[in-house]
Amino acid sequence: MSDADENGERNTPAEQEHRLRRELPAEVVSGPGAPGAQAPEQSAEPQLTGRQRLVKGLWPPRVSRAQLTVAVLLFVLGLGLAIQVRSTSDNSALRGARQEDLVRILDELDDRTQRLEDEKQGLEDQRTELENSSDQAEEARKQTVEKERQLGILAGTVAAQGPGITMTVTDTKGAVEADMLLDAIQELRAAGAEAIQVNDVRVVANTYLTDGTGGKGVSVDGHKISQPYRFKVIGKPQDLEPALNIPGGVVQTLEKEQATVAVSRSEKIVVDALRAAQRPDYARSSSQ
Amino acid sequence: MIAVLGLVVGVVVGLFVRPEVPAVVEPYLPIAVVAALDAVFGGLRAMLDGIFDDKVFVVSFLSNVVVAALIVFLGDKLGVGAQLSTGVVVVLGIRIFSNAAAIRRHVFRA
Repeated sequence: MSDADENGERNTPAEQEHRLRRELPAEVVSGPGAPGAQAPEQSAEPQLTGRQRLVKGLWPPRVSRAQLTVAVLLFVLGLGLAIQVRSTSDNSALRGARQEDLVRILDELDDRTQRLEDEKQGLEDQRTELENSSDQAEEARKQTVEKERQLGILAGTVAAQGPGITMTVTDTKGAVEADMLLDAIQELRAAGAEAIQVNDVRVVANTYLTDGTGGKGVSVDGHKISQPYRFKVIGKPQDLEPALNIPGGVVQTLEKEQATVAVSRSEKIVVDALRAAQRPDYARSSSQ
Repeated sequence: MIAVLGLVVGVVVGLFVRPEVPAVVEPYLPIAVVAALDAVFGGLRAMLDGIFDDKVFVVSFLSNVVVAALIVFLGDKLGVGAQLSTGVVVVLGIRIFSNAAAIRRHVFRA
């Protein structure tokens, strides 16, 4: 039951007033009425208009039980109002939302998550693809570099190192000739030598050896070298050494010419004599 | 006057102190606020009519709030919480409007 109910249902305020006064004789206090207002005063009050009552209630402020109780209740109302407004503006609809709304929102979020997951999956696939292709490019580049190095070793344009042997031919009598050294080189190549250096000259595909003028020394690629001829050879030592030492082979032939030959294996041979890369005048690569 | 001050203080405290409302009560707060508003308009009208009674006001205020919250609570349990709270808001809104009309007649004589 509320005031509004009673007011709304009964059309005559006077009748209502009477009833209330009968029921609650001591507590009836008209809005503007002072705490000590008595029934006789109230009976005089109906002459007051509503507006006058309102003004009377508002000013001057009076501390009465009615005012205080109403103040407390209105305080509660204001509090609730402010909290509600605050929470509504605080974080969207979620705070005050009821269960079914929350479930719907959750469903929508799930859908959205699903869609985003799909999208993420697609993008990740794409990324993997791109990485692979760039990997391939990287791989191709690496292979090219590697190939360039290998070819550089073959062409003598880069230094090389690895296991191999060292052969020193000491020829105090000057009996060693170019063809003997050529034999040695070819024997080494046949045994799998990958990089060869004689004294300070790199031996490559188009290396040529000639006897030095006056029967002294040997020229390799036009560079005159003199004994002792020091071969640095990179290859498999277990293959190279026997290849030189076979009966009737390089070592025996040289020793027959009164030269001393010393062959030693080594785990690390450095072939660091270089040749300038020559650009061929006529031959061109027929591949791309 | 003191009553109006109470309302103002309540709003200010609510805005600045930021009290935490228990999660259980939270869904019923908006409905309770609307119900309390209805009681307040009813009380204002009664005052203008010269029949205001603080005891009636207290009882109507509290019962309005409790009943409104109860209806929504029941609606939530029955699975028609949204519809029922809409219904409560509509009914309370109509009452607020009719009370406001009576107040307006008193204050503006129109």
